[in-house]
Amino acid sequence: MSGETNPFGRITVSPRAIATIAYHAALESYGVVGLAHKNLVDGLAQALVKDPTHGVEVHYDGTHIDIDIYVIIEYGTRIKTVAGSVGNTIRYHVEKALGLPVNQVNVHVRGLRISNGD
Amino acid sequence: MDAKETARTTQMVKSFREAPIDGMALKRLIEAGLTWLRTNQQLVNSLNVFPVPDGDTGTNMVLTMQSAFDEIANSSERNFGKMAHAVANGALMGARGNSGVILSQLWRGFARGVDNKEVLDAATLATAFAQARDTAYRGVVRPVEGTILTVAKDVAAAAEKALHETNDPFVMLEHVVAAAEISVQHTPELLPVLKEAGVVDAGGMGLYFILEGMLRFANGQSLEAGYAVVKPLAALQLEETRELIEPGQDFEVVIDFKPDAPLDLIDFYQRLEEMGTSIQVGEGDGIYRLHIHVPTEKRYHPIDYAMTLGTITKVAIENLVAQMNGLEAAGRGGKLTLTPVEPGQIAVVAVSPGPGIARVFASLGAAAIVEGGQSMNPSTQEILAAFENLPTDKIIILPNNKNIILAAKAVAELTVKQVAIVPSRSVPQGLAAMMRLVPDGDLEAVAEDMTAALDEVETGEITTATRSVEIDGVYTKEGDLIVLHNGKLVLSCSTLEEACLGFLEILHAENFELITLFYGADLNRQQANRIADLIRSAYPEQEIEVQDGGQPHYYFIIAVE
Repeated sequence: MSGETNPFGRITVSPRAIATIAYHAALESYGVVGLAHKNLVDGLAQALVKDPTHGVEVHYDGTHIDIDIYVIIEYGTRIKTVAGSVGNTIRYHVEKALGLPVNQVNVHVRGLRISNGD
Repeated sequence: MDAKETARTTQMVKSFREAPIDGMALKRLIEAGLTWLRTNQQLVNSLNVFPVPDGDTGTNMVLTMQSAFDEIANSSERNFGKMAHAVANGALMGARGNSGVILSQLWRGFARGVDNKEVLDAATLATAFAQARDTAYRGVVRPVEGTILTVAKDVAAAAEKALHETNDPFVMLEHVVAAAEISVQHTPELLPVLKEAGVVDAGGMGLYFILEGMLRFANGQSLEAGYAVVKPLAALQLEETRELIEPGQDFEVVIDFKPDAPLDLIDFYQRLEEMGTSIQVGEGDGIYRLHIHVPTEKRYHPIDYAMTLGTITKVAIENLVAQMNGLEAAGRGGKLTLTPVEPGQIAVVAVSPGPGIARVFASLGAAAIVEGGQSMNPSTQEILAAFENLPTDKIIILPNNKNIILAAKAVAELTVKQVAIVPSRSVPQGLAAMMRLVPDGDLEAVAEDMTAALDEVETGEITTATRSVEIDGVYTKEGDLIVLHNGKLVLSCSTLEEACLGFLEILHAENFELITLFYGADLNRQQANRIADLIRSAYPEQEIEVQDGGQPHYYFIIAVE
């Protein structure tokens, strides 16, 4: 866990904390209906996750924050736009909360949810 | 608006509101919603609070609605439900930004709600609004209230409630628009970031404008003049209005003045709207700053008018067109994206009489554009300058006007680069030639191929006769409209409708496939669309396209192929 030192001691931020921010930002993004496990075993593929660390992967080496997020998107939305918007929203919220630049946010669309027939 | 026009508008409103609301009516309403949203686009853009996630809500919503309208622009579908599905499809394909995605979901739900109805009635409209809300809400795990979603929810509730009072969809729309307005004003109470920034939600506001535009159209109100308000002087965003330059609005006038008496704002704006567009008014310490775009011949009118109101302290007049040309030449500012050329490739230099036509050439792969056309022929120097710095020595010039072909030929003598002239005598010929461009091909062969394409298109040009004359057996009076077919005078008449339909009749347009109308700087899109619809009903087999040409003098340049 990298962090920074100030006169009173050290502040460290764990990847898990960053993942939680990303998780909540993603769920507030329009078009995202859930997160999926990053390591899919076939068949469990569409299991939506409730634990923030399962659908989000954070690499933080002290200077670069890289985030991978695995999402399920509402069928019938324009996936490219939704995915782009998720990436932007996550970057915005993480940077706002941490005051550190995010290097990259990779959005993996793991599936679509069909809510009713068109 | 004079009495005659008022009477005509009243008649139009009456016939529109009494006719069944079918697919064609929806098309008009969608166009109205889009137009009104576009008119107020900058206002919606200015409401953004998040610096990152959604930087330009107004623009995104306009582009989404534009895509929806483009999908149906050429359709003559009568079935309301089918038309609504096409709208939803178009919105989905063109959804831009968060607000655009939500908007596309609203249309998707709306279309589902009206499913296969031939015509719209009040009950169906209420169902459609409810479906729109449900579909939009399903798209997110944790809906944030105080956004476009909330407005959609309040709209659906208002429609449901109105159903107890009326069977008229337009009366219901009135209730809905009123509810949307209240809902938008309420958004800061639900979403703290809005309150902190002191704004209402941009997406919600955009949705409100779309609905209000439809209602305004149904009421025969103007869709051109936007909401104008007096802002604090510091909040004037005059730079941004550069993007709003409309053809014909050549001069920007900024006046500082101190009124002798408090301004009657409604009358004030009305007078200004008669003069021009992009009106902004700011106030600080009793000094008003007025900003307006006006046509060349009216450039002194705002000053004369401000004189009657009080004391003018400062006036600035700038020629926007000249400035924009400067910006475009410098490769920034303009919206023109030219095709970059690689060394060894063929670069096309096209002469274009209007900004819209320039964009079409650019989109087809032109590497450089030279402004010019009838009565504004570019010099050989200007043409030369356009390509001298391109990283290739294979150049094709499209003069697009018979008077420029010679200048283009002269250019070939002035440069060490290999230059081929494809002698296009009109814009449609130039565009037809562009279709044959093979950037990596052999210069001579490509030029030959492009030249062969010139005769594949028929050109019509509609303009005003500048003197009374008889040519080729056609007699025309000064001020009449005249139609040129491939440069030859074929028709003289008094209305644009007669001119367009007359030309197509002479040409036997029923034997062709595609008719493209490039409307000039003196017309707006709605006027052009009205004529396009007339042509569509006269030539149902042909595909009709409408493009903003932006050329001066010519109301229409018509390509028939």
